[in-house]
Amino acid sequence: MVRDAAAAVRAELTKIVTLRAVWLVTGAVVGLHLLLWTQNIDAETEAVDGITADGMIERFPGTVRPAREALAEYLAASSFQMCLFLPFTAAVIGGQEFRAGQLGASLLAVPRRGLLVGAKTLATGGFLLSAAAVIAAISTAFMYGATRGWDPGLVVSAQAWAAQAKFLAYAVLSGLVTFAVTLIARSTLAGVLVTVVLTALTMSQVLAAFAPALDALVPLSAGRNLILLPGEDLRLSAGPAHAMAVLVAWPLLATVTAAVLLTRRDAR
Amino acid sequence: MIEITRLTKRYGGKPAVDDVSFTVRPGRVTGFLGPNGAGKSTTLRVLLGLDRPDGGTALIGGRRYRDLRHPLRTVGALLDGAGPVPERRAVDHLTWIAQSNRIPRRRVHEVLELVGLTGAARQRVKGYSLGMRQRLGIAAALLGDPEVLVLDEPVNGLDPEGVRRVRDLLREYAASGRTVLLSSHLMAETAETADDAIVIARGRIVAHGPLAGLSAGHGSLESAFFALTGDREGRGGW
Repeated sequence: MVRDAAAAVRAELTKIVTLRAVWLVTGAVVGLHLLLWTQNIDAETEAVDGITADGMIERFPGTVRPAREALAEYLAASSFQMCLFLPFTAAVIGGQEFRAGQLGASLLAVPRRGLLVGAKTLATGGFLLSAAAVIAAISTAFMYGATRGWDPGLVVSAQAWAAQAKFLAYAVLSGLVTFAVTLIARSTLAGVLVTVVLTALTMSQVLAAFAPALDALVPLSAGRNLILLPGEDLRLSAGPAHAMAVLVAWPLLATVTAAVLLTRRDAR
Repeated sequence: MIEITRLTKRYGGKPAVDDVSFTVRPGRVTGFLGPNGAGKSTTLRVLLGLDRPDGGTALIGGRRYRDLRHPLRTVGALLDGAGPVPERRAVDHLTWIAQSNRIPRRRVHEVLELVGLTGAARQRVKGYSLGMRQRLGIAAALLGDPEVLVLDEPVNGLDPEGVRRVRDLLREYAASGRTVLLSSHLMAETAETADDAIVIARGRIVAHGPLAGLSAGHGSLESAFFALTGDREGRGGW
């Protein structure tokens, strides 16, 4: 059974890596991340050069914070902003099933719906983890370039690793939400649209202003609550434990729903 | 052995297949005949676990398709609406299918060779002609060297040489004791290939038996088909 499951996951990974659209979208996200860091590196280096003797940094005018904490947070936060786009990769991966009869071919090969959805989820999660790791590595390389004159060990410090782990968890779990929604809706476009709406809920700060408890249940808000640190200029709608619970619950519920619907519906 | 028992499938309350029962025996090629919309594809989709029946059972070797552990090693299927993503290369399409059922990778190259697609294996499927896509579908069906073949219009789009090769392949398959169910509305082709025939019309089985017996008294399988499906002139329906 385990070997059958492993075979199904391997097949799903092959499907993902042999689809050009997946690489194009992922490449665009990684390229955008490189571009943003290239534009920001001078400002970051300048901010690091200005770190005071007591270890305080002013990354934004008027906001002075402990340098190590602020830079470790930014290491993950710079990657986190790319996670607005990474779910599009997940939507393309999920949406391929509903093109040209691919779902029929998949179910002929793996007719047990639960196994198929589980294999697809694991393979997609693995691919998203790899893409997120590349984004994290880029952030790490640029951050090292900015901080090596002050503290070359910052990027491998415990604080940095913890921040990176939070980013990777968010990247995979938020991508899996989009993936599962795409499976439920049987449409790449629907997966993208739902992701955009959920993102807009957080970005507009409408929920955060009027109903912080509801805002804390939105995936992107949960990502902010997990990765960013609260401060005078930043109010978060929940703590990191709540955020992690929200981020696990969303893909879990969406994936179970997708599996149930795939079992009950005809494969058309 | 394929056993369909009292199978019913409705779409939006309208029966596409209504209380259908038949058996397909090993060692023979069985033609599954019927006009467009008669219920052939629906029956095959339920048999292969793609659609859920509203009643009855469809078993392969005594088990539902979805209960087979490595289904492609038991059943090879070619169905309209179960094909590759056009942007994927043919070799990649067959590779993931092989991996899913733990079929050795060498089989991918063997079946590509068998259907004459070795030279085009690294092309994306969207560049394939209809005949090449059909051959790729047949290659996928043969990947697991299955005991049962279920093929929906396998010669659609093939050139005469391709048609002859498929016919020979199916005859050889049946001669080796395996089960072949061939859905078609090409009467002449089915008459050349099949031993038995099942005729379905308006979702119900109207005839089932050896081809010679069905054709007897009608002059040809085509005449028998039109008589059995209630279209004696052969002009209705489109």
